[in-house]
Amino acid sequence: MLALLLAHLGAAVAAPALVRRLGRRAFGLLALVPAAAAIWALTWTGRVADEGSATQVVEWVPTLHLDLAFAMGSLQWVMVLVVAGVGALVLAYCAWYFDDDHPGLAAFAGCFVAFAGAMLGLVLADDLLLLYVFWELTTVFSYLLIGHDPTKRVGRAAGLQALVVTTFGGLAMLVGVLVIGLEAGTFRIGSIIADPPSGTAVTVAVLLLLVGAISKSALFPFHFWLPAAMAAPTPVSAYLHAAAMVKAGVYLVALLAPAFADVPGWRGVLLSLGVATMLLGGWRALRQYDIKLLLAYGTVSQLGFLLVVAGIGTRAAALAALAMLVAHALFKAALFLVVGIIDRRTGTRDLRELSGLGRTAPTLAVVAVVAGASMAGLPPLTGFVAKESVFAALLDVAEEGERTGLPAVAGWAVAVGVVLGSVLTVAYTARFLWGAFATKPATAVTTPARIGAGFLAAPLLLAAGSLVVGFLGGPESEVMAPHAARFPDLGHGGELALWHGPNLALGLSVLALVVGLLLFRVRAWFAGLQHDLSPGWSSERGYFRAMRLLDRAAVELTSVTQRGSVSIYLGVVLAVVVLLPGLAMLPALADHHDLVGWDNAGQAVVAAIVVVASVLTVRSRRRLKAVVLVGVTGYGTAMLFLLHGAPDLALTQVLVETVTLVAFVLVMRRLPEYFTDRPLSRSRYWRMALAALVAVVVAGVMVAATAARTAAPVSVGFPEAAVDFGGGHNIVNVTLVDIRAWDTLGEISVLVAAATGVASLIFLHTRRAVVRRVGLVTEPSTRVWLPGSLGLAPDRRSIIFEVVTRLVFHTIVVFSIYLLLTGHNHPGGGFAAGLVTGLALVVRYLAGGRHELAEAAPIDAGALMGTGLSVAAVSALAPLAFGGAVLQSAIVDVHLGPVGDVHLVTSVFFDVGIYLLVVGLVLDLLRSLGAEIDRHIVREAES
Amino acid sequence: MTWLVPLPVVLPLLGAGLALVLGRRPGLQRVLSLVVLTAVVAVAAALVVRTDRHGPQVLWIGAWEEPLGISLVADRLSALMLLVSSVVALAVLVYSIGQGMTGGERDTPLTIYHPTFLVLSAGVSNAFLAGDLFNLFVSFEMLLFASYVLLTLGGTGARIRAGTIYVVVNVVSSSLFLISIAAVYAATGSLNLAQLAGRLDQVPEGLSLVLQLLLLTTFSIKAAVFPLSFWLPDSYPTAPAPVTAVFAGLLTKVGIYAIIRTQTLLFPDRPLTDLLLVASLLTLVVAIMGAVAQTDIKRMLSFTLVSHIGYMLFGIAIGSVTGYAGAVFYVAHHITIQTTLFLVLGLVERRGGSTSLLRLGGLARMAPVLGVLYFVPAMNLAGIPPMSGFLGKVALTDAGLEHGTVLSYVVVAAGMVTSLLTLYAVAKAWNLAFWRTPEEAHEMAVALIDHGRRVGSHEVVEHRDHLHIGGSTFGAVDRAEARRILDEDDGDNRDLHQLTEEGALPTRLPRTMVGATASLVVAGLALTVVAGPLFGYADRAATNLLDRDHYVEAVLPGGVR
Amino acid sequence: MTASLALILAAAAMIGCGVYLVLERSLTRVMVGLLMLGNGVNVLFLVSGGAAGRAPIVGENGTEEMSDPLPQALVLTAIVISLATTAFVVAMAYRSWQLTGHDDVQDDVEDRAIRRLAATDAASDSFDLASGGGEEDLEMPEEEGQTA
Repeated sequence: MLALLLAHLGAAVAAPALVRRLGRRAFGLLALVPAAAAIWALTWTGRVADEGSATQVVEWVPTLHLDLAFAMGSLQWVMVLVVAGVGALVLAYCAWYFDDDHPGLAAFAGCFVAFAGAMLGLVLADDLLLLYVFWELTTVFSYLLIGHDPTKRVGRAAGLQALVVTTFGGLAMLVGVLVIGLEAGTFRIGSIIADPPSGTAVTVAVLLLLVGAISKSALFPFHFWLPAAMAAPTPVSAYLHAAAMVKAGVYLVALLAPAFADVPGWRGVLLSLGVATMLLGGWRALRQYDIKLLLAYGTVSQLGFLLVVAGIGTRAAALAALAMLVAHALFKAALFLVVGIIDRRTGTRDLRELSGLGRTAPTLAVVAVVAGASMAGLPPLTGFVAKESVFAALLDVAEEGERTGLPAVAGWAVAVGVVLGSVLTVAYTARFLWGAFATKPATAVTTPARIGAGFLAAPLLLAAGSLVVGFLGGPESEVMAPHAARFPDLGHGGELALWHGPNLALGLSVLALVVGLLLFRVRAWFAGLQHDLSPGWSSERGYFRAMRLLDRAAVELTSVTQRGSVSIYLGVVLAVVVLLPGLAMLPALADHHDLVGWDNAGQAVVAAIVVVASVLTVRSRRRLKAVVLVGVTGYGTAMLFLLHGAPDLALTQVLVETVTLVAFVLVMRRLPEYFTDRPLSRSRYWRMALAALVAVVVAGVMVAATAARTAAPVSVGFPEAAVDFGGGHNIVNVTLVDIRAWDTLGEISVLVAAATGVASLIFLHTRRAVVRRVGLVTEPSTRVWLPGSLGLAPDRRSIIFEVVTRLVFHTIVVFSIYLLLTGHNHPGGGFAAGLVTGLALVVRYLAGGRHELAEAAPIDAGALMGTGLSVAAVSALAPLAFGGAVLQSAIVDVHLGPVGDVHLVTSVFFDVGIYLLVVGLVLDLLRSLGAEIDRHIVREAES
Repeated sequence: MTWLVPLPVVLPLLGAGLALVLGRRPGLQRVLSLVVLTAVVAVAAALVVRTDRHGPQVLWIGAWEEPLGISLVADRLSALMLLVSSVVALAVLVYSIGQGMTGGERDTPLTIYHPTFLVLSAGVSNAFLAGDLFNLFVSFEMLLFASYVLLTLGGTGARIRAGTIYVVVNVVSSSLFLISIAAVYAATGSLNLAQLAGRLDQVPEGLSLVLQLLLLTTFSIKAAVFPLSFWLPDSYPTAPAPVTAVFAGLLTKVGIYAIIRTQTLLFPDRPLTDLLLVASLLTLVVAIMGAVAQTDIKRMLSFTLVSHIGYMLFGIAIGSVTGYAGAVFYVAHHITIQTTLFLVLGLVERRGGSTSLLRLGGLARMAPVLGVLYFVPAMNLAGIPPMSGFLGKVALTDAGLEHGTVLSYVVVAAGMVTSLLTLYAVAKAWNLAFWRTPEEAHEMAVALIDHGRRVGSHEVVEHRDHLHIGGSTFGAVDRAEARRILDEDDGDNRDLHQLTEEGALPTRLPRTMVGATASLVVAGLALTVVAGPLFGYADRAATNLLDRDHYVEAVLPGGVR
Repeated sequence: MTASLALILAAAAMIGCGVYLVLERSLTRVMVGLLMLGNGVNVLFLVSGGAAGRAPIVGENGTEEMSDPLPQALVLTAIVISLATTAFVVAMAYRSWQLTGHDDVQDDVEDRAIRRLAATDAASDSFDLASGGGEEDLEMPEEEGQTA
């Protein structure tokens, strides 16, 4: 069975190529695949008849209990023959229906075959979840097939509609499937039927399954997608929307009825909706002018009929349902194919324009009449046989109702409803045959183009099938018996035959026929009546209203959430902080806390200054003022660090603060002096409130947290380890370059990214600043303190500044090297050193302008940072070579005789990497925010 | 073999450094980054195998005696995340090379892309490996800064605007993270996750709840959980396609990973199920409604991105093995699929000149391959069986049903609605961008600004500030858009029809780009094929997660607590 | 473990003011806010390390009187990262000034669009676009009896 599916898959994949090569003839080839499946099924006839069955299981996702499990039994046998048999015929038919140059034919063929495969899988699956898999696949392919002609807006719409509606049902069904699987402990259909789970959960689940079934089989209130789907090419309508896909719902019901027919609600839902749909469909069919639509509504009606019978769950009904399903597949497919031929050969499907086809296309007419007769339930056709057995089954229920849990009244009601439905069926069948073939005095006789034998073959065979099967009642019921046997028998188990002798069922058939034909005679009057009775609403409109509502709701909701403003998004984030951790904090605070006012007086003073500075910053409206004030808080923080006993922090903080200020000022010179003026909005009050609350929450959290500390911090182990293992006395530095060097490695990569980003934002087009040295432009004889400053306008030069710079530059650089080397034992280290060197460059730039910067550092900043990062990374990897761990450091003591001993810790290489990188960073910032912006200014001045 | 563990971080960093040094040699840079990322994929694969066979792989950096230093830990979860993310990153790199992102063309600076991209992937890898809270913070910063740069590439107005939102929100969330870390250290005196696992138990109940909520909030911003998600759809779509793709795939998932880690390792006794269920419910529904409201595919997909975060959160909220297994599997699926779709959109933009549904049309006929490349992952995203999206959904739904509270049923229902609406959104896009002819699209635009005219059989009716053409209703926005499209002087807003007329569009798409995308599409399908073993793995990973000693023992065998 | 109220207050003040500024529209203000936020957070780390002490340098000071070195290392990292942030945001502010003439944060265009759409009381057209039929012209076929 898996093999068959794979064959379909393969064919589907190959189809487009085939069609491109062979044109429409390819369909003939593709038809062989489903044909093979049908033949395979036929070989099973015997075994199925004597209750033989087979399963095939391939494990797929054991964790989800989802296996590729397939089973072949009586029911499956019927379905495979319908699905594959009709599929093969329709595919072959396509070869005549389409032209070679039909747009998108290749894709169409692929989808069609894929669909056939999915359908086959659906009916063979023995795992409820697997069945769902194929179920949804058929939905998707039908979407692609319906919307196949993109130029047709209606087609696209119908496709989407069918997709949404059936998937809606499908998802409900999925939940149902999962619940049942959970309750039954397995998805294997065989075992579920063998011992069905029960309980409220299962009841709900079963009803959810039914939602899936009725949406797929286009029952009221979901029926409307089916007529709309007629926008698809006729072969699609014939196969998907008559013979195969829409039968999936019927199949599911027939499959599970043995297990769940007695679940409360099952019969109620199916019988009521089924009868309603049967009547509704017939009623609508009676008024259609488009013969294809007429058939579509007919199909809706028949599907309702089928689900009623399949849902009852008695032996006779089960048998009747299968018979009816087969009959319907045969005649409805045939009729659709006939319509296809008419459409293609006469160019119209409107019965007001068709006339006299009966004479001009006799064979076609015969085919249609035979199939139609079967639909109307005329002997000796299979339609008649099936309908007889249905009536019989229904009468059983009506009489013996109690044993099916149905009150007799309901039984009779259903019976009456179905008879009425059959009346309508007869009437619209008559309308169809008359409309398509009769000669209408008012209309000119339509003469179709030549209809090839091949074109006619498929419908002919199907119609013949209707006739033949009519006589095969006996064998048919034999093969279907094993399925029927799963249901309780109410008296006569039911037997498919042309002649049961004169009984009530026969009477009903005759009744339906007579009244139906009468109805057809008075069609004009009746149509008028229908028009007057037609209600203002319909589920189509309902669907459109719903979708419109959905879109409207979506827009409204989105307009609320997506305000597109940073401050609002941040506001939400902070509000969450205040609400969740904030509220949770209050009880936590109730615990004890041990606060001291301050660790030392200095701390208190500085803290006070910081607080004041912060508040002032908020109030300042001049950019520069704000920046200077925030600088105060920064240096204040540095002071706090120092007082806390963290010299390294203090040093770095001061340096960083300075670099930050420089960066700020460099940009600030371009921005307006004052912040954009805007009237003080009320919003600032909630911003204040929020800010205050956040501050409170943070403070509270810290108070609670510090109070909770019992364990000794990890860092108690640091001092000893730092000396023995890290070979340094400055613990913070050892931590940075050794104990937690991994953090540092990441952090310097952050610096690289940031610097790159700055450059990218300022230079935009290329990463690299051009390093232009002035040495080339000025004659070397002129001796100046800072050659680069020659590039400056005289009024911007300051000799003293240049002299000082000249004197201090190298001193600073030397000092920074010292910081770098001693960092391991005293305050300093790569960061501090790098920043100091950077500041030296800043001084050079400020004094001598951008050319001076080039003079001072005639190198590419990016490359410098790159080198730094590489050095760090390499020194991280190096230990691996010596069998150490990444970033493991070694202490080497080199004896250089007279010079003395050099105490070298390998982590210094890592620190050097950092140093290079930081220098590169500052240089890069100067290049971008300094030099390049200078250039922008110059450019503007020029233009 | 523990020396493998740090490589996914160090190699890209070394690569980034060298890439900068090689500033003048773009060719070499490409080779370099390709080699590096391929190596990372290999390492990740090796780690997956090893962790699955021999349990967590732990490395104490610098061989410092535990728990002094920083530990890197690769357990089943980390290894899987590492593998998926590195594969995706590699594909995106190939794609962007094909697009010329890295070739120093006009809007894409030369030596910016490669080093930054490498830092990004290093950051992501480190986030998955970090065994130390502060180190996790550092990895966040690595990937964030890289993302800042990539998001603002070229510094166009739109990107600066998007960049501002993105940067500011994330910097604030970083500060929040730092505050949480300070609080955690204040309370426990440690940063090592394994050690924290033990020490947080000693912390008073009330305080540990506060800490948990702080961390949860921080990570939820990264993961874009409602209501901390609004920033995402405003920032992602403006970036160049491959950038959006890699963001969509990786960044939010890092947040999810962090949530999983802290929930299972630090606060196993307090799953906060109901809170998280509500969050996931709102994330699913609100965001998918956003997707429905969009008329630009790129934006639409960034809403589905957020919405589906709700699925993963759902699994976490349930907190059972099934739940976590489902979440883990779904993360793998979602990384692959969302990235794929954004790459596809890059191709759409190239072939169709835009991603706006008002401008596109007829792509299915013009570029059938593109059609397949969109349709398959789109259906996968919508959870159409048998694809991975469906399998993940099934696992999560199972978990929800097993949990069996009213709230969990509600979220299950919401999950179903979400996947229906996802299907609706992507199918709508398919109808318009791939099926409808460009002419029809253009006709619409014309009709929108000149009223007298008829469209096909319909005439244009104006009513209450919006137009009805046939059944279609158009608001002010669409009319403004149409005006832009038809504005002669405005060359950047032509629709596909006009562009085709002018022959302004490439009819062939670069092989490398298509190849990279196709390989990801295949990878997405492969998830279905290997679903059996993959789910098995996810299941084992989930089991490990729920037994935290498995992790703690591996990191601190000495019993240091 | 004792905590210094002075430090906590200083930190809280900086964080509070920082938050307020971050909620502003001018990028420079936001920038200043972020800086202050960063400084505040760094002070929190001092708090988390416990009481003040002497510089953690072995040899110069006794182990027991040292301040906790670990948070200091963390703060060093944090400081440097906030430097990176500053640099980047400043550059962004400059770029935004280049483009718009001011450095105010822009709202997101698409969102404004959606909001306007809601305001103009028009449903997102996308469904209709896709379906090609609102109920006004449900393309219902003509049926017999309509003239009757």
